[in-house]
Amino acid sequence: MPRQRDEDDDEMEPEEEEYDPDQGLDEVDDEDEEEEEERAGRRSSQKRRRSSFIDDVAEEDDDEEEEEDDDDEEYAYRGGGAGSRKRSKKKPSGADFLDLEAVVDSDEEEEEDEGEDDFIDTGADLPEEGGGRRMHRPPLMEQEQEDVEDLERRIQQRYARSHHTEYDEETTDVDQQALLPSVLDPKLWMVKCAIGKEREVAACLMQKYIDKPDLNIRSAIALDHLKNYIYVEAEKEAHVREACKGLRNIFAQKIMLVPIREMTDVLSVESKAIEISRDTWVRMKIGVYKGDLAKVVDVDNVRQRVTVKLIPRIDLQALANKLEGREVVKKKAFVPPPRFMNIDEARELHIRVERKRDPMTGDYFENIEKMMFKDGFLYKIVSMKSISTQNIHPTFDELEKFRKPGENGEGDIASLSTLFSNRKKGHFVKGDAVIIIKGDLKNLKGRVEKVEEGTVHIRPEMKDLPKTLAINEKELCKYFEPGNHVKVVSGTQEGATGMVVKVDQHVLIILSDTTKEHLRVFADDVVESSEVTSGITRIGDYELHDLVLLDNNSFGVIIRVETEACQVLKGVPERPEVALVKLREIKCKIDKKLSVQDCFKNTVSVKDVVRVVEGPSKGKQGPVEHIYRGVLFIYDRHHIEHAGFICVKSHSCRVVGGSRANGDRNGDSYSRFDHLRTPPLIPQSPRRFPRGGPPTNFGGRNRGGRGHDGLVGTTVKIRQGAYKGYRGRVVEVKGNSVRVELESQMKVVTVDRNCISDNVAITTPYRDTPRYGMGSETPIHPSRTPLHPYMTPMRDAGATPIHDGMRTPMRDRAWNPYAPMSPARDSWEDGNPGSWGASPQYQPGSPPSRTYEAPTPGSGWANTPGGNYSEAGTPRDSTGYANAPSPYLPSTPGGQPMTPNSTSYLPGTPGGQPMTPGTGGLDMMSPVIGGDNEGPWFMPDILVNVRNSGEESTGIVREVLLDGSCRVTLGSGGSGETVTVLPNEMEVVVPRKNDKIKIMGGSLRGATGKLIGVDGTDGIVKVDDTLDVKILDLAILSKLAQS
Amino acid sequence: MFFHIVLERNMQLHPRHFGRNLRENLVAKLMKDVEGTCSGQHGFVVAITGIENIGKGLIRDGTGFVSFPVKYQCVVFRPFKGEILEAVVTMVNKMGFFAEAGPVQIFVSNHLIPDDMEFQSGDMPNYTTSDGSVKIQKDSEVRLKIIGTRVDATEIFCIGTIKDDFLGVINDPASV
Repeated sequence: MPRQRDEDDDEMEPEEEEYDPDQGLDEVDDEDEEEEEERAGRRSSQKRRRSSFIDDVAEEDDDEEEEEDDDDEEYAYRGGGAGSRKRSKKKPSGADFLDLEAVVDSDEEEEEDEGEDDFIDTGADLPEEGGGRRMHRPPLMEQEQEDVEDLERRIQQRYARSHHTEYDEETTDVDQQALLPSVLDPKLWMVKCAIGKEREVAACLMQKYIDKPDLNIRSAIALDHLKNYIYVEAEKEAHVREACKGLRNIFAQKIMLVPIREMTDVLSVESKAIEISRDTWVRMKIGVYKGDLAKVVDVDNVRQRVTVKLIPRIDLQALANKLEGREVVKKKAFVPPPRFMNIDEARELHIRVERKRDPMTGDYFENIEKMMFKDGFLYKIVSMKSISTQNIHPTFDELEKFRKPGENGEGDIASLSTLFSNRKKGHFVKGDAVIIIKGDLKNLKGRVEKVEEGTVHIRPEMKDLPKTLAINEKELCKYFEPGNHVKVVSGTQEGATGMVVKVDQHVLIILSDTTKEHLRVFADDVVESSEVTSGITRIGDYELHDLVLLDNNSFGVIIRVETEACQVLKGVPERPEVALVKLREIKCKIDKKLSVQDCFKNTVSVKDVVRVVEGPSKGKQGPVEHIYRGVLFIYDRHHIEHAGFICVKSHSCRVVGGSRANGDRNGDSYSRFDHLRTPPLIPQSPRRFPRGGPPTNFGGRNRGGRGHDGLVGTTVKIRQGAYKGYRGRVVEVKGNSVRVELESQMKVVTVDRNCISDNVAITTPYRDTPRYGMGSETPIHPSRTPLHPYMTPMRDAGATPIHDGMRTPMRDRAWNPYAPMSPARDSWEDGNPGSWGASPQYQPGSPPSRTYEAPTPGSGWANTPGGNYSEAGTPRDSTGYANAPSPYLPSTPGGQPMTPNSTSYLPGTPGGQPMTPGTGGLDMMSPVIGGDNEGPWFMPDILVNVRNSGEESTGIVREVLLDGSCRVTLGSGGSGETVTVLPNEMEVVVPRKNDKIKIMGGSLRGATGKLIGVDGTDGIVKVDDTLDVKILDLAILSKLAQS
Repeated sequence: MFFHIVLERNMQLHPRHFGRNLRENLVAKLMKDVEGTCSGQHGFVVAITGIENIGKGLIRDGTGFVSFPVKYQCVVFRPFKGEILEAVVTMVNKMGFFAEAGPVQIFVSNHLIPDDMEFQSGDMPNYTTSDGSVKIQKDSEVRLKIIGTRVDATEIFCIGTIKDDFLGVINDPASV
């Protein structure tokens, strides 16, 4: 084997090394030679010493090795002095490996890792090898003998040297220090391997090294406590890679260097001092009880065993079966739930229960099948290794269970010491109220004065004690008194605030500020605070009280946020359904501004106050927080559950202050309810409408009834001025100006009302409101013009001469209202600035004289005095319109729907409100009827239909209460029981011809009469007192109760 | 506890109310604005008893509103810790009951109700002693002691106890 060639191989075909053992051997020789040159003399001699010892071992393992040895010997021979040194160097590489690691490892490995083919082979071979060695040994010895002198010298050298060095090592500390790894030493590399195969991998590496000593690794280490990794000692990462190549179970993709500093730690044994004392809480690590909380009852340090108290998980039935030898089903999947042992129950199942006295403690235990029970708990002796003592966070539930069979609070304190081990740093701060929980000073209260590491100086509250006491932190616990306002700073309720309701040992019961629920927390987890929060209010992108869409397309409102999940009140109106939802289960937040209709077809939008009129939450009332898919989420402050949220169908609700069903005869009777809050005139305008056409057409109109601050809260766009193009939310309406909170900027600006368009928002149920603001403006007048041509034929149509006579009183009322109106306007004191915005609408009307002087431009009615009141009174005077009263006639329904049509002729109408011109005009007419019918609409002695949860019954109003509700005697004859009914729950019985009636509104309010005829929506009434015949709106007529 | 104190407030008045009745309007608006409100410092303003003086009005640019500094005397109600109050029960649930003493809402937790009183659910949830002699339900009047207060900008919320001598039901509507 020419050496020259070998060297070439080494350089050019490094890969071959692994696959060609013979060649490899040679190469190792070469390398060793090179290496040796680098080594210091002393070290090499050491190695050599070892190597000679190893020679034998290496030979044992492999024939090849022996051959190699022979070769080596030959080299040594031939090469003379240098060669012998070379030779001595060669062995160390194998020696290093084996004497440090392999010897030990292989022993273990052989026993444990059976089944690993490579290894077993070797193991199996070993005995033979043993024989083989003896066979081979002689020749070696012979060879050695050839150079007896040399050997002699070497042995002498070896022993002499070793003696010396050993002595050295043992004596000096500095040398010990010098053993620590330095930059010059091989490094430790961490290599990933298959879990559970650590030892196997290490053994394989060893084997590989033995097979091919040209590997440049020095050791392989598998640690018992480190899964998934082994350590390999080598000079370079490439060497490790090389070594790992071709091995299974080892993943050499990522090789990490262990910093020099940490290298010693890898192999240092960490003695874990487990301190287990009685009464500490532990968790089981294995078995059926894995993860269960247990309490240490007794500790046997000598035998490393502890007695723990557990809540048994025993399937009595299975146990009984087993004892009786019946079908012993080994069903592993099922773990019985923890349950206290009931001895009587066990006896019933014919399980033998022995009552024994424990000789050590003197306590009595019930023994079943070698299991000991006491008070329902299982007492179990386990190895210390099978319990974990670190980071035990018993939850309240668990602790609660352990307290079950009437344990006194003593135990709690002891257990707290376990809890305290997990305290954060800086737990106590100066000024904290604390109580001592252990030792002689137990139950002494005080305030923290100073905090040092582990020691807290407290000022005791008791007299005759030193000013400050130094107490170990672990003996202290925070102390609170009922009534303290606190914030929870750790634990599951982290972030919540509330007031302490009760102090129970070291457990506080606090009343959460937001949920008004009781929370149980450890005194240690809270701090005194004046802050008010509901705890965590955010989870991911979602906030408390957000409406969210969930995974399964259901939706709900977040009513509680916990650390990793939140509670969601689902949108199921039938019953309150709360789901615990993880963040990832939330799809998105629903932030739509929708509006829906309530049971009377009123529009409900967010923030409207509604009352639930049917269903399980009937009677609840509150502002609407969210609307989605016809479901409302109402926030009722008085509702304790679900953070005050109620989920209802929109149809089961009624807008408070909203108008009654739009088609109802006394449809606006309810909107009058509103007058309590709004300037009385506005709601009246819709009164005209029920007279007329199909009610549904006027949904929009009636809504105006409660539009006192209709614009407020809506989203508008500014059309003119400096803020042109901005969008914003109206925060306030003041006269002719509107304060708008800009969406894009954090500010509120005041703009002219005319400069906004509010049709950007879908939510504006008050779309007609701006009209009021513009009321006095001219555009309205021209807009009226097209109306008239349309109306005129109508008037021609259904005119009846009889009406002429009837006109006068109407007209009177039409004009008079201005007197009654003025006080009404004073109702600005309402306190609602928003309502002021609406008031200008009266201005156009109030100076009627002015409109008289200014004939409507472009109007065909040259002589028609000011558009507004023309219909009311004037037409009668103008000759051509003798039949002017027709708007009050049955024909009107035809006319009414046309009103919106007329708008199409008004391209220039400001704001583009479709309704504006037509309805506006009609609004102006409203005073014809209105103004003086303030006050209760219902009157005593009239017949009403009471709608109560779906059923209708007739009743007689006996008394009208101040709040608008009535006391009604049920039964048409007034014979039933008397109940109090809200105005919205009843409607006036429509009188028929020849019925006795009572007039509920107008100047004749309160008068009785007889309905002698019905003409559309007008009734012809013969008033009892005066015997006059009047034409009155049917809406203000009610059937008189027969008494 | 009730106090009679003098407070000051800047009132803004719409120009349309200027005239002979300006003062009346101002006072009316003041009452409307102030009565029934709550401030953390003073508690609930129960009633305005008089006007000390009305300062000079200042016209605000832009709006035309005029602001008047008004000093007024008023009766305020502020609950204190340790105070004993009489209150009307408004709601009873398993966690305790809510009672109102005028504008103040007080919660009495079941932990602060004597232990011999048990919660009875049903149509009319209540707390009853084991012998049934004492019953706390909606509209009962109770005497309680405030043990903690929480003052918000607009609300004062209290926690009370009836677990003490001479506390508890003083007038039961059921027995009347």
